[in-house]
Amino acid sequence: MAMLWIHAFEQGFAYGIAALGVFLTYRILDFPDLTVDGSFVTGAAIASVLLVQAGFDPFSVLLLAFLAGALAGTMTGLLNTQLGITNLLAGVLMMIMLYSINLRIMGRPNLSLLRVDTATRIVNAAWSPLGVFAILAFVGLLTFAIKFLLDGFLRTELGFALRATGDSESMITAQGVNTKTMKILGLALSNGLVALSGALVAQYSGFADVGMGIGTIVTGLAAVIIGGALIRSQRVGWMTLSVLLGSFVYRAAVILALRYGYVVGFEASDLKMITSLLVILALVVPYIRERRLKKVSAC
Amino acid sequence: MKRFIAGLGVGVLVIGIAIAAVSAPLRIGITKIVEHPALDAVEQGVIDTLTAAGYEEGVDVEYLLASAQGDFGTAMSIAQNYQAQNVDLVVAIATPSAQAAVEVFRGTDVPIIYGAVTDPVGAELVQDATDPSGNENVTGVSDMIPVAAHLQLLQDLSSEIEKIGIVYNPGEANSVVLTEMALAAGPDLGLEIVTATADTTANVPLAAQSLVGRVDAYYVTTDNTVVSAIDSVLAASEEAGVPFLMADPTSLAQATLAAGFDYYEHGLTVGQIVLDVLSGVGTDEIPVTYQPSAQVHLNLDAAARIGFEFPAAVIDQASTVLYGDVIWQRQDP
Repeated sequence: MAMLWIHAFEQGFAYGIAALGVFLTYRILDFPDLTVDGSFVTGAAIASVLLVQAGFDPFSVLLLAFLAGALAGTMTGLLNTQLGITNLLAGVLMMIMLYSINLRIMGRPNLSLLRVDTATRIVNAAWSPLGVFAILAFVGLLTFAIKFLLDGFLRTELGFALRATGDSESMITAQGVNTKTMKILGLALSNGLVALSGALVAQYSGFADVGMGIGTIVTGLAAVIIGGALIRSQRVGWMTLSVLLGSFVYRAAVILALRYGYVVGFEASDLKMITSLLVILALVVPYIRERRLKKVSAC
Repeated sequence: MKRFIAGLGVGVLVIGIAIAAVSAPLRIGITKIVEHPALDAVEQGVIDTLTAAGYEEGVDVEYLLASAQGDFGTAMSIAQNYQAQNVDLVVAIATPSAQAAVEVFRGTDVPIIYGAVTDPVGAELVQDATDPSGNENVTGVSDMIPVAAHLQLLQDLSSEIEKIGIVYNPGEANSVVLTEMALAAGPDLGLEIVTATADTTANVPLAAQSLVGRVDAYYVTTDNTVVSAIDSVLAASEEAGVPFLMADPTSLAQATLAAGFDYYEHGLTVGQIVLDVLSGVGTDEIPVTYQPSAQVHLNLDAAARIGFEFPAAVIDQASTVLYGDVIWQRQDP
């Protein structure tokens, strides 16, 4: 069982990077961006092709995947800010377009990484003194490094401008900030993180598949919402930490449902219901808490 | 007396534990990527084969069943859960679930038996299809269908059939492999292959319609997306007045004719491999098994609607015929 918790943390962190990307658009920029379902695969595709066909090392492909994702995010941003397509539709269009692009990148729908040296496999061998914790240590270090970089960025002047764009667009425009540039920057950064996560997950799972991005937005939002219910803070460092925590709780819920679900009568086909109920719970608890507070203050 | 009872109690306990240790049921984990009639049939076929061989569920064997419900991260979690629960054997249904299981159980001696995987070498589940010595803990059954034989069957229907239309989803690994095989085999048979792609079930009717008037026959492989909307392919073929060959006999009612195997049969074959492995044959001794399929199934009702008559040679091959909404089985003489 202990091993399962380790896996829940590994997956929680690996998908947590994508959740940080979703957090950036959904919470910070107030831009519901559906590009991520496509850019997650773009990252996995770029990384896999470079690994298998060009012999790149598995760590530098993470960075290249980030750049590819950032490009996809930039495109969504341009569709929205330059061509005036609404944010939801711009994301959907880019996501659909990426499906074809991802197939082009991979050359086929499924690319196996089972016979190449992936990052997780190299780490597992190189950090063997850590035993079963080797992959967790690697994924955790990478994820927290990204979290602290993101925290640092959001505290810079540029980062403040980005946050202000999401909070109050008209106010920040009056301050002389170009909100269009800010949106493009935020979308690029967000999709870069999502693609990096896809590249990491592909290496962790041993394959890339054109269908693996389906639901990235849903699990990302679930992580943001669950995390937000667990840690209530407006400070950047706590907010990003809450996203990672939410991502872990989501994965842990899946694993718990798989492991113990049958005890309470759940069937294999009930899994999606369980994870959705968890998100509903995370949404409802703060709502009820707030309502109770209002009632108290009304008295 | 008290000591006797205590001693008796301890004795019973020891015997009980010993019995439990000896007869602890075998734990088999079955993982599949999504709920789907074909994949569910494979799962059922495996369980039925083991039951028929004397593995009684709950006594000799315990099944852990899980579906990733289309989520690839969950496919990993399922494999990891099976590893944590010390399963004795894994049955992995469909390519992504098999790849996740192979990754998680890498370097262990837990056998992984895959099913519903078209190209196990291309998916790198195994190294070599014919020489299993390097295939470690993985073996299984490929659901590769004999595409060239199916094209030949279409050619046997009428000398006028020269252009074959294939509707497929470019996002399905299995489907792409089969379509590429058709594109490669077509010219050798003197056939032109025309493809139309549908990336979602909703787009299948459009793709099928786009081939009307451009092809002499329709052909659909085991493409999950297209099969979900197979009625629209039949409608298009009937509008064009040309026959439609389906590579899955379970869909005979929605085609002019069908060839190949149904997935329950495939599950039985996968179950047979599981039995072989349980009896002590090493996974590195069993090469990739290909699902045998030589049967032809005809839908006379659908043929009558487009005024098509099957040639005698094809009728002689048929093992089942759908006529007047009833399925007629050929009686062996």
